[in-house]
Amino acid sequence: MKRLLLLIPLVLVLVGATLLFERPAYAYTDPGTGLLAIQAAGSALIAVGWYLRRKIYSILHRGSAKSQSKENSVATERDGSPLS
Amino acid sequence: MPQQISPGSYEQGELELTFRDPAGQLLLTQHHALRHVHPAAVEDTLAFLASPLCASLELSGDLIPSKVDDSAADPQKISNELWLKHPRIDPISYPWEWTVAQWRAAAELTLRIAKQAIDAGWVLKDATPLNVLFAGPRPIFVDVLSFERRNPKSSVWLAYGQFVRTFLLPLVAAKFLKWPLQATLFSRDGYEPAMLYKALPRWRCLTPDLFDVITLAALFERSSGKRQEARRPFKDTDPELAKHILHKRIDRLGKQIRHVAEAGSESQWSEYTRSANHYQAADISSKQEFVRSVLERCSPAHVLDIGANTGTYSLLASKSGAEVVAIDSDEAAIEMLWRAATQQKQQITALVANIARPTPAAGWKNREQLSLLERLTGKFDLVLMLAVIHHLILREQLPLTHIGELCASLTHRWLVLEWVPPSDPMYQEWLRGRDELYGSLSESDLLNAFSPFFRVLDRTELGNQRVVLLFERKAGEASPLEAGPA
Repeated sequence: MKRLLLLIPLVLVLVGATLLFERPAYAYTDPGTGLLAIQAAGSALIAVGWYLRRKIYSILHRGSAKSQSKENSVATERDGSPLS
Repeated sequence: MPQQISPGSYEQGELELTFRDPAGQLLLTQHHALRHVHPAAVEDTLAFLASPLCASLELSGDLIPSKVDDSAADPQKISNELWLKHPRIDPISYPWEWTVAQWRAAAELTLRIAKQAIDAGWVLKDATPLNVLFAGPRPIFVDVLSFERRNPKSSVWLAYGQFVRTFLLPLVAAKFLKWPLQATLFSRDGYEPAMLYKALPRWRCLTPDLFDVITLAALFERSSGKRQEARRPFKDTDPELAKHILHKRIDRLGKQIRHVAEAGSESQWSEYTRSANHYQAADISSKQEFVRSVLERCSPAHVLDIGANTGTYSLLASKSGAEVVAIDSDEAAIEMLWRAATQQKQQITALVANIARPTPAAGWKNREQLSLLERLTGKFDLVLMLAVIHHLILREQLPLTHIGELCASLTHRWLVLEWVPPSDPMYQEWLRGRDELYGSLSESDLLNAFSPFFRVLDRTELGNQRVVLLFERKAGEASPLEAGPA
């Protein structure tokens, strides 16, 4: 987890720097250079949070799913039929 | 390249106000705003107009209603061009005539619409205060061509930069640098982050609200310098994540706007009504009674309140059923007026403007944004000019005949004017030793100067020797100013 947190600033800088080169076609308003880059950096930050939240959710969910399946298997062993 | 409108396709005298958007142009006619949509944008525009998003925004009053107008199309052409007709919002107001609170209301409207659009599969391709007009105290988004289909895999909002430059940074500059919002008249596309990075103290640029939009943006801009020519498309993002990112970005902008556009400060004039010691309660009551009786007698539909201050008389006029335009050069006073009109749901358009130095025309060839007088001339049944004339005489050094001529160009029927005699304490305060020039002006000088344009219908003298007069414009005395196109 600590390693992951250390990676965040690096990801931000890399994504920000990458987007410095990117200028979209067909934009009629000027998206700016710096302001476009901070969108990328902000996106990276939000994305990290989003993935982390999903990961944490799935870990928690997996935990409950595991205990659920364990209970199910115990019940199956006991009476020979799975619980619905 | 956008198709140009043929000169024959709209009537003489109409104004072409917007033309930068490749999707279409806007024309102003006497009663409507006509939008010409170029063929390449017709399909998307029609799809947007048929969308539940458009219906819901129109229903809530956040978006101007649009109707397809077949009568405006050029009959000579079998073309796929599209004309839309919108109701006209009068007067047009520009961001450089708004208070901080109005800027905030316009910004919040834009962000609210941007968020709803994202959820519905659309996106705002531009986000500038010029897309918003005030109809009474309420902001309305008026550019239906701002909506385009959203790429669900894109987490980038291309109009983000424009929103920051044109909404957020002017508010930042107004709050921390005291750059007046009126100065935005000179910068069509707002302020660049680097501009504010140089002007603001370093510690201010490091505060959480400004770090990304000023410091980081300015640094990225500086480091990108010579690499502008390299272009490639954005990478795709998971659609769910893309939407999440866009929402978060808009929420952050909303928070930044709220922080820099806090409630306004007081000024000498915003406190004037409460602090005026040259007015006794009985005088105020007599003046209000006279104005109220004039409003009942004349039943004006459109009233202009010049020097409206915090809006006592604008509110009276509005409550009598008139649509009111209230102008004052004091931002704090207009902000109070706008808040009162919003809270009391009164049809008052409040503008920060000085009638003696009216907002000039601006933009390309000075025809993109109209001057204040072009927007106001000949639009009103009744003009209120209460406790203003001594400002115009002593501070602006305007001759009475010029003031009379201007009033005659603004109203086509009535004028209510408060005469402030030289003995008045406010008059004396600004006389400043110029007694020879202004010390002996009297009510009869006023009547003489106004007589080519107006006749007196009624008058009342207050206890403090001020006089409130009801004038009626003489028929056939059109002012040269009325020849304007608006």
